[in-house]
Amino acid sequence: MGRSLFRFVDALELCTAYIFCFFLNLLFDYVKTLDLGPYILKAFFKNFMDYQTLIIFLFTFIVIVFHYQMLHRKKTEVYCRILVGDTILNITIRYSLDCLMILGFVYLLSILINVYLNFNLTSNLYLVFIFITYILISARQVRKYENF
Amino acid sequence: MKIFKFFITKIFLRKAILSISIILLLFMANYTTFIATRSILSTFQGYQEIKCMNQEGIYIANLDPDSDVDIDAIGENGTQIVYDYLNNNFNYAFYIDGFMVSLPNIDDMEISLSYMNEEYYELNQFELSQGTDLDFDYQFDKDKEIPILIGKGLSKTYPVGSTIKIEDPVLEQPITLIVQGVLKQNAYHSNFYDLNLKKYYNFSIFLPVNAEFIKNANIDLQLMNGLMDIVILQTTKEKTVDLSEVMQDNLGLKFNFFSQEENFDYFNEYYLYSLKIMSITTLILLVIITCLSIWNALVSIRLMLRDFTINLLVGLSYSKLRKIFYSYFGILFFINLIVIFSITAYNRYECWLRKDATLATYGFFGLIGMDWFALLVVFLSDIIIGKIIVENMLRKIKKIPISLGVLQ
Repeated sequence: MGRSLFRFVDALELCTAYIFCFFLNLLFDYVKTLDLGPYILKAFFKNFMDYQTLIIFLFTFIVIVFHYQMLHRKKTEVYCRILVGDTILNITIRYSLDCLMILGFVYLLSILINVYLNFNLTSNLYLVFIFITYILISARQVRKYENF
Repeated sequence: MKIFKFFITKIFLRKAILSISIILLLFMANYTTFIATRSILSTFQGYQEIKCMNQEGIYIANLDPDSDVDIDAIGENGTQIVYDYLNNNFNYAFYIDGFMVSLPNIDDMEISLSYMNEEYYELNQFELSQGTDLDFDYQFDKDKEIPILIGKGLSKTYPVGSTIKIEDPVLEQPITLIVQGVLKQNAYHSNFYDLNLKKYYNFSIFLPVNAEFIKNANIDLQLMNGLMDIVILQTTKEKTVDLSEVMQDNLGLKFNFFSQEENFDYFNEYYLYSLKIMSITTLILLVIITCLSIWNALVSIRLMLRDFTINLLVGLSYSKLRKIFYSYFGILFFINLIVIFSITAYNRYECWLRKDATLATYGFFGLIGMDWFALLVVFLSDIIIGKIIVENMLRKIKKIPISLGVLQ
């Protein structure tokens, strides 16, 4: 992580945010497979199951918050790096690759759990697309800090 | 007020993403609390309603799950023998509903007919807003008027004393009804096996059923619904075993009769267990969402620290800052409460749009008692969550020296 914008704590924070969203999706899929027994429980969980995608999508907002605050905090660092010879393109690429690496690691972890639990492997693929979109949008934001 | 306006427009809204994400998190906390409270309250109401059945000597019929129902094989003779046996040996509470008829009314709703006998009526003690109680000692004759109770939704079109002519679906002939009373607004009946599921009687007609009425009714009333949930009163286990045998011999169906104690065990096993699961799930979700909200709030502090500390430097006190934070979160909670209120009001209104006679309810802004109670619980939970978040934010700000904050 020598030249990366990420420190260990940042990577851990983003990793936790991704894990939380994937875990939530997994939890929904798991509850679907359960025989909930009494109708009252089914009716209660149906209030959440019916809006699974929407609820998870809303929770992915924590990842947006992470990207937003991370880049805000690093704007001085970005500017300083450019001063000492780095380019905004390289910084953006490194930042995107770091995010993608963390996302890939968490997705791989979720695939392993899905295989272990015998769940559909594509059930959380949409989350990957959502997070890649967030990464691309936030990568564009890095350019904003070219001039301090 | 001026400083609060300044904080909202120049600090909080300048980083709108943080405000939006905290609104979303708090909305999910509120939605979870609202749904859980309403489900628990609805189950509790159902439990209170069914409690009148949990008395000594009361046995409730239940078709054995392994018993196959073949309507064609059951003759009217068979059901009549069963009813004769019931009339001669038992006191029983009889209730069925779900028969829909078209009847002109100002809300253009289909009307649900509910048939019940005197014992069921006395057991449930329905409250009336107008008129008098049902009279079950009428002489059944197609030229005579049958006294009925109606729901509030029908009372404008059919006031007490007015007559209604309908083609009765179970008698399969036209009958004349006379309105004897109006049920209280939002009178309901909980499903016997799903206590949180309710049918509202606002667009229902209560038809009193006596032995003569049953004799003239078709098999739908006699068997399909009437016997399925029949409640035998002041009896013993031995007598219900005999009744079960009579039913098996004449209808070919095996019925089980459950006592007060068995029903109580059933309620404990299923409903208390369900309520526990619901409460625990809600609590876990609330803890997770509160933790995420605290994280979000601390992120806000991290990004807005300079603004806060500059204001503290020029004379803003911590107690004033606390007030600003509480007011800010008060506004966020208020927005969420308005959203939940609007969703609930729309859901209630949707039943009217769908012309769903059994779910249409009356209430202030369309919300009924349990909705308002759930909103109150949401409001109380907001106070707790708000306090936790604001105190954590202040602790974080106090930890950082003002000079360091300004330099950031």
